Amino acid sequence: MFLIECPWCGERAETEFSYGGEGGITRPAEPDKLSDAEWANYLFMRTNPRGAHQELWNHAQGCRRWFGVERDTVTYHISRSYVLGDGVKD
Amino acid sequence: MQVNRLDKGGRIDRSKPLKFRFNGKSYEGYAGDTLASALLANNVSLINRSFKLHRPRGIIGSGAEEPNAILQIGKGAHTLPNRRATQVALQEGLVARSTKGWPGVRFDIGAINDVFSRLFSAGFYYKTFMFPQSLWNLYEDLIRGSAGFAKAPKKPDPDRYEHINAHCDILVAGAGPAGLMAALAAARSGARVILADEGTEAGGALLRSDEIIDGRPATNWVETIATEIRGYEDVTVLKNSTVFGYFAQNFLTITERTEGPIRQREWRVRARQVVLAQGAIERPLIFCNNDRPGVMLASAVSEYIRRYAVLPGKRAVVFTNNDAAYQAALDLHSAGATIAAIVDSRRTGAGDLGEQAKAAGIPVMPGHIVTNVSGRKRVTGVKIATWDGATEGMVDESIDIACDLVTMSGGYSPAVHLHSQSGAKNAWDDSLSCFVPGEAVQACESAGAGNGRWSLRDCLEDGARAGKVALAKAGFDMPDIAVPAASSQAVKPLEPLWRVPAAQDPDRCPKQFLDFQNDTSVADVRLAVREGYRNIEHVKRYTALGFGTDQGKLGNINGMAVLAEALGMSIPEVGTTTFRPPYTPVSFGVCAGESVGELYDPVRKTAVHEWHESSGAEFENVGQWHRPWYFPLPGEDLDAAVARECLATRKSLGILDASTLGKIDVQGPDAVTFLERIYTHNVGKMQNGRCAYGIMLGEDGMVMDDGVMARLGDNRFYLTTTTGGAAAVLGWLESWLQTEWPELEVYLTSITDQYSTIAVAGPNSRRLLHKLSCSVDLGNENFPFMSVHDAELAGIPVQLFRVSFSGELAFEVNVDSNHALPLWQTLMDAGEEFDITPYGTETMHVLRAEKGFVIVGQDTDGSVTPIDLNMNWMLSKEKDYLGKRSLSRPDCLRTDRKQLVGLLSEDNTTVIPEGAQLIEDLSAPEPVPMLGHVSSSYMSACLGHPIALGLVAGGWNRKDEVVYAWAAGCEPIRARIVSPVFYDPRNERQND
Amino acid sequence: MTEWHEKRHGLEQRIADWTSRTGFTISVRDDLGHLNLRGDLGSPGFLAAAEETIGQPLPQAPNTISDGDSTIFWLGPDEWLILTPAEKAANLADQLESSLSNQHAATNNVSGGQIALTLTGERVREVLAKGCALDFHPQVFTEGRCAQSGLARANVTIGSIGGDNKFLVIVRRSFADYLLAWLDGVA
Ligand SMILES: [Zn+2]
Repeated sequence: MFLIECPWCGERAETEFSYGGEGGITRPAEPDKLSDAEWANYLFMRTNPRGAHQELWNHAQGCRRWFGVERDTVTYHISRSYVLGDGVKD
Repeated sequence: MQVNRLDKGGRIDRSKPLKFRFNGKSYEGYAGDTLASALLANNVSLINRSFKLHRPRGIIGSGAEEPNAILQIGKGAHTLPNRRATQVALQEGLVARSTKGWPGVRFDIGAINDVFSRLFSAGFYYKTFMFPQSLWNLYEDLIRGSAGFAKAPKKPDPDRYEHINAHCDILVAGAGPAGLMAALAAARSGARVILADEGTEAGGALLRSDEIIDGRPATNWVETIATEIRGYEDVTVLKNSTVFGYFAQNFLTITERTEGPIRQREWRVRARQVVLAQGAIERPLIFCNNDRPGVMLASAVSEYIRRYAVLPGKRAVVFTNNDAAYQAALDLHSAGATIAAIVDSRRTGAGDLGEQAKAAGIPVMPGHIVTNVSGRKRVTGVKIATWDGATEGMVDESIDIACDLVTMSGGYSPAVHLHSQSGAKNAWDDSLSCFVPGEAVQACESAGAGNGRWSLRDCLEDGARAGKVALAKAGFDMPDIAVPAASSQAVKPLEPLWRVPAAQDPDRCPKQFLDFQNDTSVADVRLAVREGYRNIEHVKRYTALGFGTDQGKLGNINGMAVLAEALGMSIPEVGTTTFRPPYTPVSFGVCAGESVGELYDPVRKTAVHEWHESSGAEFENVGQWHRPWYFPLPGEDLDAAVARECLATRKSLGILDASTLGKIDVQGPDAVTFLERIYTHNVGKMQNGRCAYGIMLGEDGMVMDDGVMARLGDNRFYLTTTTGGAAAVLGWLESWLQTEWPELEVYLTSITDQYSTIAVAGPNSRRLLHKLSCSVDLGNENFPFMSVHDAELAGIPVQLFRVSFSGELAFEVNVDSNHALPLWQTLMDAGEEFDITPYGTETMHVLRAEKGFVIVGQDTDGSVTPIDLNMNWMLSKEKDYLGKRSLSRPDCLRTDRKQLVGLLSEDNTTVIPEGAQLIEDLSAPEPVPMLGHVSSSYMSACLGHPIALGLVAGGWNRKDEVVYAWAAGCEPIRARIVSPVFYDPRNERQND
Repeated sequence: MTEWHEKRHGLEQRIADWTSRTGFTISVRDDLGHLNLRGDLGSPGFLAAAEETIGQPLPQAPNTISDGDSTIFWLGPDEWLILTPAEKAANLADQLESSLSNQHAATNNVSGGQIALTLTGERVREVLAKGCALDFHPQVFTEGRCAQSGLARANVTIGSIGGDNKFLVIVRRSFADYLLAWLDGVA
């Protein structure tokens, strides 16, 4: 059972959190101006890296905040967790 | 008669005799015995049959490493399969059975396998039972049957188990000399300490030792130290507790076998620092017939004599390649056994212990090896050859010695299992001829014999060192701790002897067993190499080496060495093995803990639950909620009750507890902007006090959830979600709000439990509310369909919604849950004159299906767009919303997509099974094209015939076509495609 | 007519049916009303208006409680739970709504949707540890601390308040029966 650091509540057990997929994907401002391929790219394509991965996590059982986590997909090591910036999933 | 029990000594309580049964016979042992020591005390040497070859087997070890004495403990629902007799504390009335051997362990039909054992070589199962594949199920039954796996209990486990979470600064695994020193250091420094040991008492190997620590017997020292450690407030000492798992971030799991109302407890420990001091496991020597009952590890022999006062044999041969086994010889000697010989493969013989043996008159044969064992169900003698320390080929076994016990030692392997589980590698130490813990990757220190320190003095020192290192890393001051004085004997080094040469070729000689539990022999590993296997992981799987419940605690290192020899490589070149949790098997009961029976999963109950229960409702689970399914009158079944509930609602008045709906309060100046992006309809156009049916889509355009929403003010909305979707929808809304649109000023609060929702439906619903002196005008003008008012009903403040999921004139009443039960009762009383009828989820489903209303998750499955549901009218063209862009993807525009339709069985009487596949042509060749499936299907009492909803490819263009609905176990049913709205298509009733 | 704040849940009966046990007692706190407050600490005036209305500070440090006439739990950077005498809850909710009406804030009276339990006794920390992964050591989970987490399989808010081995556990109403059954089992 991992510990994940909520930027507000501190380290808590993994079971308190839910995973929100890859971070840093910004919803297109005007979807109707996108081609099908561009929309599909936003909708379906993820980087799936081997190594450092920017992720979104929600402290579902705690403060209900969404925040960013940098996690290594090979070692599972979480190198940082952070408050999301204004309007940016970074 | 405990014929092998010594007159004195041991840590058993002779004043407490305990009766037990093994394979139907009665025996007696003492408190403090393990089942294994008690069996040996009674001279029971044949304990089990081996897994594959059904060879007779006895007890080899005395702890977690035991591969043979794996027994079925207890009877009936309490039975525990596959327990190591060496770790089962003897109890009054204990019942144990062999798990293998039919009809009995002494006469075993499967033993014929041994006669033909050449047929049962490496990969036997793979080669023999491969074809045809269709017979594999049969093969598996046969293999399992004859292999005699232990029996799982058939009844629910009546015992209780629990979990407990713990946090500590230092977790020490193992309470031998090293673990005790580490724990003592930690305890004295004031750290929070957990000391766990799998034994019934602390001490580890010291419990079988005659060594002196600080001038007194080691066991005496153990008691003093253990008492001191226990005395610190922040120290938890766990006995009978195996640390079985080491996971990421220093999270470790321990099973504690407790005495009392809880049978086992699982500790889930988060430790800042870990000290691994689990000691070392003695290795067997690999000679012919080394599995015969009466061949035992030297450490086990010492332990049985010194700890349990049991003499496992009268005339022993001790076979060793190191000094440690000499201690067993001395222990045997002083317990009164005859040592026929110490056979030492080293031509140099032993150090100090060798001198002691000679002084005691024990014959020592340096430069000799035991090549073979005679006797089948019990050792009767050994064959011995001289050996030059180099010859790998055949030797001349010219010496015969009679004996009833062979005590062997091939050296020790540190128990590196937890270190390996932690993610670290193990490193081969050439001077010690064993794997030692490699560099740690988590916050842990290995210590003592588990760290390759053999002498007592080294173990004590290393334990203190590890404790101090862990403390320093955890930020504690160094405690004042002196390493006690202990002797350190002059030792001659071990000389590796991985495979003992035999009188025949190693591939033809009698079996030399590496893995006792899986009957893997030297010849099996060599055969695997001849067949082309090179990688240790492949060889292990092919030969089953190390794949028993003991995970190869005895066999793995010897097996790797034999593989290395066959490949002409060194052991580290062959590799290391990775150990995985659990260290020893863990029962399912303790895995489940308290989460069984009524506590398996939370049962959520509405505020009216009590009334439903006392009214005889049948319940169904909807998510975690327990909802009334139907309310049968005496003698009614589901169909009869639902028919009555439906008719009563349509004719007069029904009442439903709809409290499980998810409810979300939305407030903020940007509430409209936010909800416009979430819902498909024009939220901004809603007037205050009006309701709307809303759907939300995933970004892929598929329907995700639906529900009624209401606008309570300029900046305030009330949303409902499906019962099962409540938490997910709130999380979804928060994710958009927090990650994508944090500039929007909106607060979302779950109020699902705050308000109970009571739906009253039917032509008399308005009259009912009127009767309860409703404080607002309920007429169509003031209170039209799809509107909301704050009101008082019988003096209780409520929120009244005029919405309908039944198609009838209906109201939903939101009330503070504290008042839900009295309000429900008030409604029931007042409704008596209208024959008010409580209904459950089944009637709710029938009523909505008659109207063609879908249930998200039943009529949709994550691949259905609102267009497929004919809900284009709900899709705003004026704004963007989540999922909108996906609706114009080519795939979503296909006209042959599966579309929502109604279905009527042509015979007008058959209720089509839900889930039935729809096909067009019964004679179509396989694979038959599937048009779609039936998603909802009921008998409609109001219409007098069955109705169904389904998704059919291009369904709207197939109106009035006949298709076949086919479900497993049924004849195909002819069904006609119709409109999904079966009842009141012009919605006159709900607007009445 | 029953009073607005009167709790109806039948939970006392479940506790009354328990066999007595040492070192652990539990009571249902029907005397407490529950308000959920949302607001933006960065918005000028919110904190002052809220604190003036409630009459005590809002805890701003994560996982802490402000104790006074009301007991206020930090739930998140913009969310608080206010436990206040049940008969005053509705009134306080109204007052907060009006004093924060020109703020981006939200008040919800959730007295009917939550159950507060007081757990006391020398075994209370051990009982909590059986269902919750938080560290309940007396020097870690000190008085005045709180956390939202899972207890068994229910979401709870736990606070140490009013004494060394005294905890308030707040659970959703629909989970209360399950949670009490679990506590009965492990205690
Ligand atoms: Zn948090």
